[in-house]
Amino acid sequence: MRNFLNTGRLDPTKRLVVDRTKDFKEIYEPFDKEGAASQSDRCIQCGDPFCLNKCPLHNYVPQWLKAVAEKDLEFAFNLSNEPSPFPEVMGRVCPHDRLCEGDCTLNDGHGAITIGSIETFINEEGFKAGLTPKFPGITTDKKVAIIGSGPAGLSAATYLLRAGIAVTVYERADRAGGLLTYGIPNFKLDKKVIERRVKILKDAGMELVLNVEVGKDISFDEITNTHDAIFIGVGATKAKGARLNGESADNVYMSMEYLTAIQRKNFALSYDKKFDFKDQDVVVIGGGDTAMDCVRTAKREGAKSVTCLYRRDAHNMPGSVKEYKNAVEEGVDFTFYASPKEIILDENGKAVSVEMIKTVLGAKDESGRQRMEEVNGSEFKAKADVVIMALGFDPEVPSFFAENGIETNAWGGVVVNDDYETTTAGIYAGGDCYRGADLVVTAALDGREAARKIIKSLLK
Amino acid sequence: MMEHHDLLRSFKDNCGFGLVANIKNRASHKTLEDAITALERMMHRGAVAADGKTGDGSGLLLSMPTEFMLQAAKDAGIELPNQFAIASVFTPDLKHLDVLEAVCANNDLKVLYRRDVPIDTEALGEQALASLPHMVQVFIAADSIMADKRFDALLYLSRKETEHKLVEERGFYIASMSTKVLSYKGLVMPTHIKEFYTDLADPLFKISFSLFHQRFSTNTLPEWRLAQPFRAVAHNGEINSVEANRFNVEVKSESIKSDVFTDEEIARILPILQPGSSDSASGDNFFEFLIVNGMDFFKAARAVIPAPWQNAPHMDPELRAFYEYHSTVFEAWDGPAAFSLTDGRYIGCVLDRNGLRPSKYIITHDDNLLIASEYGVVDIPDEQIKERGRLQSGEMIGLDLKFGKVLKDEEINNYLKSTNPYMKWLNERMVYLQEHVENPYASSCDYSEDLINRQRFYNVTHEVIEQVIEPMITDGKEAVGSMGDDTPLAAFSQKQRSFSDYFKQKFAQVTNPPIDPIREKVVMSLNTGFGEIHNMLDEIPSHAHRLKAISPMITKEKLDILLSYGDVNSPRYEEFYKNETFSTAYTSDLKASLETLVAQIIKQVKEDGVRIVVLSDADFSKTHRTIPMLIAVGRLNRELLKAKVRHLVSIIAQTCEVVDSHSGATLLAYGASAVYPSLLFATAIDRINSAKQFDLSCAEALRNVHAALNLGLLKIMSKMGIATIASYRNSGLLDVMGLSREIVEECFSDSHLMIPGLGYADIDERLEKAHNSAFDDQGFGTIFPLQIGGFYKFYNGQEYHDFGPDTIHAIHAISQSGSEKDYAKLREIVSNRGLKFIRDFFDFKETKAIDISEVEPKEKIFKRFASAAMSLGSISPEAHEAIAVAMNTIGGQSNSGEGGEDVSRFNTNRVSKIKQVASGRFGVTAAYLRSAEEIQIKVAQGAKPGEGGQLPGHKVTGLIARLRHTVAGVTLISPPPHHDIYSIEDLSQLIFDLKQVNPKAKIAVKLVSTSGVGTIAAGVAKAYADKIIISGGDGGTGAAPLTSIKFAGNPWELGLSEAHNALKANSLRGQVHLQTDGGLKTGLDVVKAALLGAESYAFGTGVLSIVGCKMLRICHLNKCSVGIATQNERLRDEHFKGDVQQIINYFTFLAEDVRSIMATLGFKTIEEMVGRSDLLKVVDDAFAQKFDFSSVLHLEEGVNTCQMPFNEPYDDNKYEKDILEEVRGAIKHPDQPIRIDKEIKNVHRSFGARISGEIAQYYGDEGLKENTIRINLTGVAGQALGAFLIKGISIRLNGVANDYIGKGMSGGKIVINSTLQGEEFSAGGNTCLYGATGGKLYISGSVGERFAVRNSGALAIVEGTGDNACEYMTGGIVAILGSTGGNFGAGMTGGIAFVYDEKHDFIENVNRELVEAIRIDTDDGDEARHYLKRLLKEYVSESGSEKAQSILDNFRVELRNFWLVRPKNLKKLPLNQEKGD
Repeated sequence: MRNFLNTGRLDPTKRLVVDRTKDFKEIYEPFDKEGAASQSDRCIQCGDPFCLNKCPLHNYVPQWLKAVAEKDLEFAFNLSNEPSPFPEVMGRVCPHDRLCEGDCTLNDGHGAITIGSIETFINEEGFKAGLTPKFPGITTDKKVAIIGSGPAGLSAATYLLRAGIAVTVYERADRAGGLLTYGIPNFKLDKKVIERRVKILKDAGMELVLNVEVGKDISFDEITNTHDAIFIGVGATKAKGARLNGESADNVYMSMEYLTAIQRKNFALSYDKKFDFKDQDVVVIGGGDTAMDCVRTAKREGAKSVTCLYRRDAHNMPGSVKEYKNAVEEGVDFTFYASPKEIILDENGKAVSVEMIKTVLGAKDESGRQRMEEVNGSEFKAKADVVIMALGFDPEVPSFFAENGIETNAWGGVVVNDDYETTTAGIYAGGDCYRGADLVVTAALDGREAARKIIKSLLK
Repeated sequence: MMEHHDLLRSFKDNCGFGLVANIKNRASHKTLEDAITALERMMHRGAVAADGKTGDGSGLLLSMPTEFMLQAAKDAGIELPNQFAIASVFTPDLKHLDVLEAVCANNDLKVLYRRDVPIDTEALGEQALASLPHMVQVFIAADSIMADKRFDALLYLSRKETEHKLVEERGFYIASMSTKVLSYKGLVMPTHIKEFYTDLADPLFKISFSLFHQRFSTNTLPEWRLAQPFRAVAHNGEINSVEANRFNVEVKSESIKSDVFTDEEIARILPILQPGSSDSASGDNFFEFLIVNGMDFFKAARAVIPAPWQNAPHMDPELRAFYEYHSTVFEAWDGPAAFSLTDGRYIGCVLDRNGLRPSKYIITHDDNLLIASEYGVVDIPDEQIKERGRLQSGEMIGLDLKFGKVLKDEEINNYLKSTNPYMKWLNERMVYLQEHVENPYASSCDYSEDLINRQRFYNVTHEVIEQVIEPMITDGKEAVGSMGDDTPLAAFSQKQRSFSDYFKQKFAQVTNPPIDPIREKVVMSLNTGFGEIHNMLDEIPSHAHRLKAISPMITKEKLDILLSYGDVNSPRYEEFYKNETFSTAYTSDLKASLETLVAQIIKQVKEDGVRIVVLSDADFSKTHRTIPMLIAVGRLNRELLKAKVRHLVSIIAQTCEVVDSHSGATLLAYGASAVYPSLLFATAIDRINSAKQFDLSCAEALRNVHAALNLGLLKIMSKMGIATIASYRNSGLLDVMGLSREIVEECFSDSHLMIPGLGYADIDERLEKAHNSAFDDQGFGTIFPLQIGGFYKFYNGQEYHDFGPDTIHAIHAISQSGSEKDYAKLREIVSNRGLKFIRDFFDFKETKAIDISEVEPKEKIFKRFASAAMSLGSISPEAHEAIAVAMNTIGGQSNSGEGGEDVSRFNTNRVSKIKQVASGRFGVTAAYLRSAEEIQIKVAQGAKPGEGGQLPGHKVTGLIARLRHTVAGVTLISPPPHHDIYSIEDLSQLIFDLKQVNPKAKIAVKLVSTSGVGTIAAGVAKAYADKIIISGGDGGTGAAPLTSIKFAGNPWELGLSEAHNALKANSLRGQVHLQTDGGLKTGLDVVKAALLGAESYAFGTGVLSIVGCKMLRICHLNKCSVGIATQNERLRDEHFKGDVQQIINYFTFLAEDVRSIMATLGFKTIEEMVGRSDLLKVVDDAFAQKFDFSSVLHLEEGVNTCQMPFNEPYDDNKYEKDILEEVRGAIKHPDQPIRIDKEIKNVHRSFGARISGEIAQYYGDEGLKENTIRINLTGVAGQALGAFLIKGISIRLNGVANDYIGKGMSGGKIVINSTLQGEEFSAGGNTCLYGATGGKLYISGSVGERFAVRNSGALAIVEGTGDNACEYMTGGIVAILGSTGGNFGAGMTGGIAFVYDEKHDFIENVNRELVEAIRIDTDDGDEARHYLKRLLKEYVSESGSEKAQSILDNFRVELRNFWLVRPKNLKKLPLNQEKGD
């Protein structure tokens, strides 16, 4: 260990841009055993491991890095799967540069440990070697219903199953995974990964009910009557708009509609052909990870040009730097310091361009982020055949919430107490539906911690 | 259990001692006068009270002055019979004498006469006068015809009985009561003893021998009774194992059968040890008891102070058999000891196994024997001296007065071994377990089924496996870590902790030295026996029935063998080993379960003949938790003793709780004979079987784990200065933190209890919680079921770490932004951490606030800030200098640490104002010391008190080597003790040395918090230190064993409060300044430290984090990624981001924070705030109320701060001051050399240091041209002749010198010569050239122990040495033209030595771990050979040595007798002095 002086940080190899933009396969080549071991061997094994402190799940990062360095795959696999419900997913989709790797002791000139890629390595190699997380089977007479099969729901299911509690997961879509399946493009997260994880859970006893929307296809009462507790993890799926004139034009789309459609296309399922943007000028408004997903998807879909408009600069983008870089490599144009004012429509009511105004960044505000100010008279237009709004999401509030005393706050987030319990006893919630749009890892955390409380209340 | 208020007034003592005797037993008044002169000349080894006249005690134990006493009685009209005795009694009340008289009458004795001892109270100081008792000599005779032996026995019986009857009368004391000896002692300075006891001036007062003793007590509350000699013994040193010895004496007392006394009489005599007496007095009690009961004088002496026999392969096997046989009943009274003993017929002097006290003897042609701590205490002309020698480690010298014969060590040994067929007895009876073990480390595992549950319950977390157990598996050593401990005490923790965490290890500081268990392992032993402890007063073959193991840590295999001997169904069964296993499992009610268990065991011991009790927690299960093994062992040990059956049984613990040496040692300290750490072994087996990275077999892994445990145990014992496990067992040498009085009284009563708190019910509750969680994973842990742990390193949700990520991030934010807001964030984190540390339990009381403008400015407060000692070497030059510049800029102080400092920094703002002197003495030269404003003697270090350190060769860069005066690439070892501080009078001597070399510097002594540190602090103040630092046990380090970082040393709050109050109780507070350190971060910490008594404050880890430290805890690996704790140039250049301003910013915020709190408390100055513990109150919190903090908040009467600029020694060293004036001209005008001639006496100490310091002031270590100042001395030089001697001074002594010649010498020359030349004449004392970096030393005689220890550059030739010569040497050249003692070259990593081995026994004396001895009469030896010849020629011309001349005369022949000793890894011989080799 601590071999950081002789070995530099090595990011996993990315596929060549010309190749990778032709398909939707993942862009990173996985580490080989030697690569993972030598990268892990750089770890200092600090007395104050900032990495795990920063990780919302407090993953056993230094511990499994040591195991990888020592080439003890099984040990690493177990360490990795203990605090994390699906580490192979987090290894791919977490913004490591803002979390573990960002806080890594070595991230001050030495180059942080490639924690995320090693996490992926551990699990992919582990699965390859036939390792699988251990579940005890259903050993209790307790049953919990989970609404939503996104990261929060699957995380809760994982830990409940580990306690021997029966779990039924209700999912309104035709596949499990929520955002993991239909929100994150395949080139970032191969859907086989999700399928594999879901299969593990089903093998462990999870009952998965697809194409059923609670409150619509099945009543909430029915669920409460047949289960000892309920966990709600319905996510935040309502796209935020920019409240711009012209926003409602036909060729102005919400990011998630687009990503879902293309994922369906990739699954070879039916999808709306209006999302084929081949040879079109695509403008994406927003600077987060979802915006990056949209621009890169559009690029792969053969758009003529893809432009991302963002109010601040690259440094201030809320998403992962890694994703921004990938987008740049893949030929996406970025226009920074540009705030949308209006969507200009043609006579047919079709959007043709976006009117923008230049911005400058001022002093830092309370949160340490620089304030943004518009520059008067600096308006300009960006041509667009298609506009995609990627400005974040708010929770949708199903009607059964109010009917069952499940309170929400001003922006629709479910109100929970310290035990993740909603204002109705026995009903728990976590993930984006309570936080608002956030990270996969925080949803996983909520699922885990809510499960901890549910188990405690059911098995005391 | 000692209560806190006793602690403040308790004491330790060391001293000067000796004896004079006429070998032919001829009585004379001159012998008495010699004894008194000798005492007077050792004044400097004692101490004087504040009144300037009351000594700590001195005295004489004289042969009966029969002639004088007959006359005295006759004068009173009494005709004494031939058979009479005199009791020398101190009593506050004469009616107590009636008690004595009545007891005597009852025992067939009669009192003939009470003689009031004539005294002159003019000779007394005020304090002594105030407590002066009546002094009466009671003349006693037999009341019927009886044999002399019976008369002696009845005298003893009567004295003991009287003592028991008057046990409540503390002032009543019988100093002696004997037919053969008579005591004259008291609280009087040696110079006044003759005036005080007017008897002593009477020429008729004739004696044939006298033991004498001058006491140095650490306290200022001396008592008449505490003066030595005692009735049979005068002791210089400290018995480190005394707690164990006292317990063991009680155990042995259970089975006494005496030939001298009836059982009924023995019952009247018991207890053997007088309660409440000192370690020496206890030793005296025990020795006397053995003698009175007819045990052979020499056997008794060697039973109490045995030579190191266990690991001495060259010792005569018959003699080893003698020792091994006696070890079945006796254990060493271990510690530095020079014991003078007498029973009236024999006189002897015996030295401890490690030679830690000086004991020098002279035999004269006119049949006198003189033994003393120093030479020169009696003037004896050379021509009268027949023999001048010294005792070596573990040696004894005796005198048989009846036959007028001196008995040397060898003669005594011959006698001892031949008195009984010990070898035969042992061969026939003793069983060595090892012999019967076929496969010493099999891989069978006790717990394969429920391993995980056990690991969860017994706190074997993933971290413990990874950080603690795996290093043991792979390296066979304990894990090493760095930085300090930042977690709460176990009692305060809300997390699961091991029960042994409530105990903190004790360690030696100042009054006794720790031992180096690696380099001096020859004296160490873990040898363990099992079986009954028989009557200690007889020697019969059956006592040899013992089962033996080489370590108390036993494997499953050994346990099985051991059990087979006590199993009725086994063919091996022998009844003395009958065993029974008792389960510690229980379901509820810890206390009741414990009591039931103990009662059951005692019943079976009494009724069923159980002799080996195995306590086992194997029955742990889902339904049963287990009694903490330590509670079970501790309680059982006490209850067996109460039931008087302790001697019958050995206790063995089969336990899951022992995973490291600390948890093992705690069980031994409270009475276990052996420990089988079942879960540790099971875990190791599991790791080997499951993990891939170990290239080891199971057996190898277990062997390594076992080896690591053993090394760890040796380390724990040695840090307390104890060499054998037998002397450690039952010692209770731990401080108990936060358990209730009830638990401690019932289970651990030999230990100090700090912060009384948690009771049985609390512990039970914690165990229940752990038990529940062990079996209740609630869905978590099905994949990785171990707890992750967080005790050594941070992990979210686990144990609290005060330097956790949030704190570190906050500190970094301050240094980066320099904004007050960021400081406020840190303050908030620290203030809101909850009840984690002792200070968190205290709130301020309401006081009247003042405006902040009235508070003294921050500049005043800065003066009280210092950075903690961090050496250049442990941290990079950049970090070291940044800290120095910052501290100098704000007006605080930085501390060089132990590692020298570049002279270019002297007299600039890069200088470290505090220069440290540590045990390695690296870079400690006259100029270094002279550059200091304060010189800090590091006696102990918070992270690893009682331990040394090691800087591996690969880290010794050119710069570090230069600063430390050594060679790059040479490993540098810091020994655990300062080899010139084995006792308080030694420390006093070192302080004196330093005050001479730099009279302007304050001398500070750094101690580590532990119970009893107050006593030490008082002693240090009496040794004339100016400042005392109480470090918290949580202090940081570059590298230390994890068990030391975690489990040794107490929080600073406890030590500070105790030291502050003890200094006040002894009226010493006004003489010294008090400083503290330990995790201080914000103003709140500083203010609380002030209120508890600290006047200044040091910061270690905090300062490092300011300059970028991230608590990586890898300082020991040279890979610090932020360029602080590393010498790697890339890391330093590219990654060190610290700067001066960051530190200044931090201290500015801190000082302002302190000011604002002072304003709310209403203090204008820190001066008025110090010691105001009355302003603190315990927080209003249910958890806090569980603990009793009253001892921490205790407030003694008296001044709270230092009142004087310097704590001036009473010895003003006028002798050298005058000489300095004489040579000042030559210092001013070095081209005008000077030569002066003087007489010198042993009271003239540290000669040369003052002049050297003066020269260093102007010329640095370059000094003057050789021989600029030549000083010719005649006589006997005092200690530390030529200390820190600098180039340009040559001292020629015609005579002899004492200990520490040339300590810290950097240049100059010392030549000692006299007409008494050669190996058989000692010409120098112990520990010469300690830490010397240059210069030359020629002595045409032999010297004492540890010659040239830590020499790194001096050239020396002597004609014989004691043990441990050239230890830790890193440079320089030593030639020894005669015998050396054992353990030569231990830890020697540099330099070379030539040894003339005429007797061809040298090679056995070499410690070959690091060095090799080679011949030089070969072609390869050509260079060395000629170099040696040149050396000898120069030596002959300087010293006139006849021996060297004769060697030169026959050089071709003599060459074959020479060995060259060099470190194994030294490729090229450094034989060119001019080139600086």
